[in-house]
Amino acid sequence: MDQADRRESTNDPARVAVTAAGVISPLGFGLAETLESLRSAQDCVTPVMRFSVTQCRCKTAGQVSDSRLLASHAQIPRSGRLHRASYMMIQALQELVMQRPEFEPELTVVGTTSGGMSYGERYYRSLIGAGDLRRAPRWIANYPAQKPVIDAQTAFGISAPCRVIANACASGTNAIGHAFECVRSGRYQRVLAGGYDALAEMVFVGFDSLQAATPEKCRPFDRYRSGMVLGEGAAVLALENLDLACERGVPILAEIIGYGISSDNYHITQPEPSGIGARQAMERALESAHISAADVDYINAHGTATVFNDAAEGRAISALFNGVPISSTKSMMGHSLGAAGAIEAIVCLLALQQQFLPANINFTTPDDDVDLNIVANEARPAVVNIALSNSFGFGGTNASTLMRKSPPAPGLPRTGDA
Amino acid sequence: MSLAIAGMGWVTPLGIGVDSVWERLLQGEEASATPISEEFSDRVYSVFRVLESALKYISHPRLRRASPISRFAAAAGLWALESAGLKLEPQNAERIALIFAISNGGVIYTKRFYREIVAKGAQAASPLLFPETVFNAPASHLAAILGVTGATYTLVGDGAVGVAAITMAEALMANETLDYCLVVGTEEIDWLLCDAYRRWRLLRLVPPIEPFSEQNRGTILSEGAGAIVLARDGFVTIERAHPGGYFRRRAEAEKILKRILCDLAETEIDFVVSSANGTFVDDAESEALQEVVPNTLVYTGKPALGESVGAAGLWQIMLAAQALHSKELPPVLHADDTARLQLSLSRTPVPSARRAIVLSCGLNQQTAGLRLVSQ
Repeated sequence: MDQADRRESTNDPARVAVTAAGVISPLGFGLAETLESLRSAQDCVTPVMRFSVTQCRCKTAGQVSDSRLLASHAQIPRSGRLHRASYMMIQALQELVMQRPEFEPELTVVGTTSGGMSYGERYYRSLIGAGDLRRAPRWIANYPAQKPVIDAQTAFGISAPCRVIANACASGTNAIGHAFECVRSGRYQRVLAGGYDALAEMVFVGFDSLQAATPEKCRPFDRYRSGMVLGEGAAVLALENLDLACERGVPILAEIIGYGISSDNYHITQPEPSGIGARQAMERALESAHISAADVDYINAHGTATVFNDAAEGRAISALFNGVPISSTKSMMGHSLGAAGAIEAIVCLLALQQQFLPANINFTTPDDDVDLNIVANEARPAVVNIALSNSFGFGGTNASTLMRKSPPAPGLPRTGDA
Repeated sequence: MSLAIAGMGWVTPLGIGVDSVWERLLQGEEASATPISEEFSDRVYSVFRVLESALKYISHPRLRRASPISRFAAAAGLWALESAGLKLEPQNAERIALIFAISNGGVIYTKRFYREIVAKGAQAASPLLFPETVFNAPASHLAAILGVTGATYTLVGDGAVGVAAITMAEALMANETLDYCLVVGTEEIDWLLCDAYRRWRLLRLVPPIEPFSEQNRGTILSEGAGAIVLARDGFVTIERAHPGGYFRRRAEAEKILKRILCDLAETEIDFVVSSANGTFVDDAESEALQEVVPNTLVYTGKPALGESVGAAGLWQIMLAAQALHSKELPPVLHADDTARLQLSLSRTPVPSARRAIVLSCGLNQQTAGLRLVSQ
């Protein structure tokens, strides 16, 4: 019987546990380094060296160290032939596999926006410059958007079918949300979810051409914010039927309890100014979790630091939530596009596990237009039971997920039950 | 719960509209090849293009600057909704989900955008072109045209992504707040793609596509879109969708295809719509079909329509649905009768056909399949 035929025998939706996780980002390699960077509110944005940015307004990005990345994978067959995005996915999945070697997903759902884009750039430059095309077959073979997740699964002997969601900057959160729904519906018991993206010149210049990228520091929700900086990375989460995981004695890191998605159809690059799309995604996530806005303890905002995004998201948050602490961790690591939602889910996971609020750095002046409780510049201890993560993308696609602290033992009421 | 096909829309190099394309396929017609060249190369490729005139009455402000891939998708999507008799109003816009299947995406604008960067520097980059290079641009245009406010997803992958999108739609429709799911597969062609597929040894320079031949001489790329409205009721039901899997090497494709076929052929099957396209896919599918369903009729539409990658899976499903509905299979073009399969070599009546398998093997490691049953 394939998994598509599996149906839940009762009408109750299954609870969805996060049982393992892995991450690589400018904040660090793995959960421990990521936690350390988050706690110390480290600014991990550095000058771009990978390609020329002399003609760009923005000259910085959150970047993953190449030498360290490649050194980590010297033992992998065909090492040196894959794209950086593949190595990042392998790195993240390796961490997850070390926690749960027996985890065998029935389905994998990941988000990305550009896959192996920089290999496409090399191919094009070689073609027009009559350059050396001997390596072109390798570039082309590693260019497809789905290749990094297939490479990562191959490295660890995982054979699950892969759904690769490319919903622009919301991709990672959409992937986690869809994976959550797959487990919750009872169709699947174990789904691997996540996202990946590597810096590419074309994408970097694209955001620069839109004047969405800043030549200054990235200061989300600040009155004087001037735009985003890009980032890169990968993150994966093992999602499982919580009750079944508990029966097997699997440690539960957190519970995903809700997911909301919306389309606002306003403009291909700008959010609807009132924030209606963002608000609908958050409302739908709350409805899906059967909780109220007052139950949320922390919001990891999309917070790109563009004038329009933060204004729209800020309005939506202030209309729905009353003083909930908010931060955009993109201020520390940049915006990793298709990976962002997955990396930020890890940030929420760490906030729930370690009971602290990650910081929104480079914040100097509140924006009078929106009433928000920003976790300014320093992480701080707090009681965090439920965290909301937002991701919004080009084309007006909006997604929110809700994660709860490692839940009580089975048998206790499910979230939202009276 | 099974889902049904309530409407379809088709934009192909052989014409537009389901009835028109189907009739031409039954007559044994094939798309005309067009040469495609590039200023920095002497090499010329052949492709199956959609005629510009075919889309002249699809207009919307969102499509003014949109790339062909978005216009193909919008046309197919709108026609699918029309054929389902479905008019979207604000009150039901939340009750429809949109899923796009794409492989190479907006490659024409992507190349144009990057060409300016390479030639003139970053300051020459066009802020108008960049948003159209994003994978989900076609989906966002159609969502805006239709006023869809709920779930919109773009799936990327190889030729199997269309069938995978149907599998995802099945999962989404398990949520009873949705009444419909519009699934659209779409692709556009550029010289760059042809060159890349040639370097991969998957392309031939001129037609025909010769399916299941002794030698895999390669495929011809095509463009267009296919759209399917999925609902609770319709003229053909998706009885079972198989999520498939991926193969590490081309030689391993056969193994996973056999597994998919074994799972789907648990009941009597009347014909299989294959993804044979003149490449290694043909060998893998041929071996799997011979072993699992040796006496079942096999049809592939790729010699007539070309390899449309992101749109291909949707086209295959539409071919199967049309054949179940009209009780006929078109001829498989350019196949010889030495093939070890039961190919539909001429227009073949299938008066008692009830069930069909769609088998999809992509060129980049992915596979999927599903089974349709007529009402």
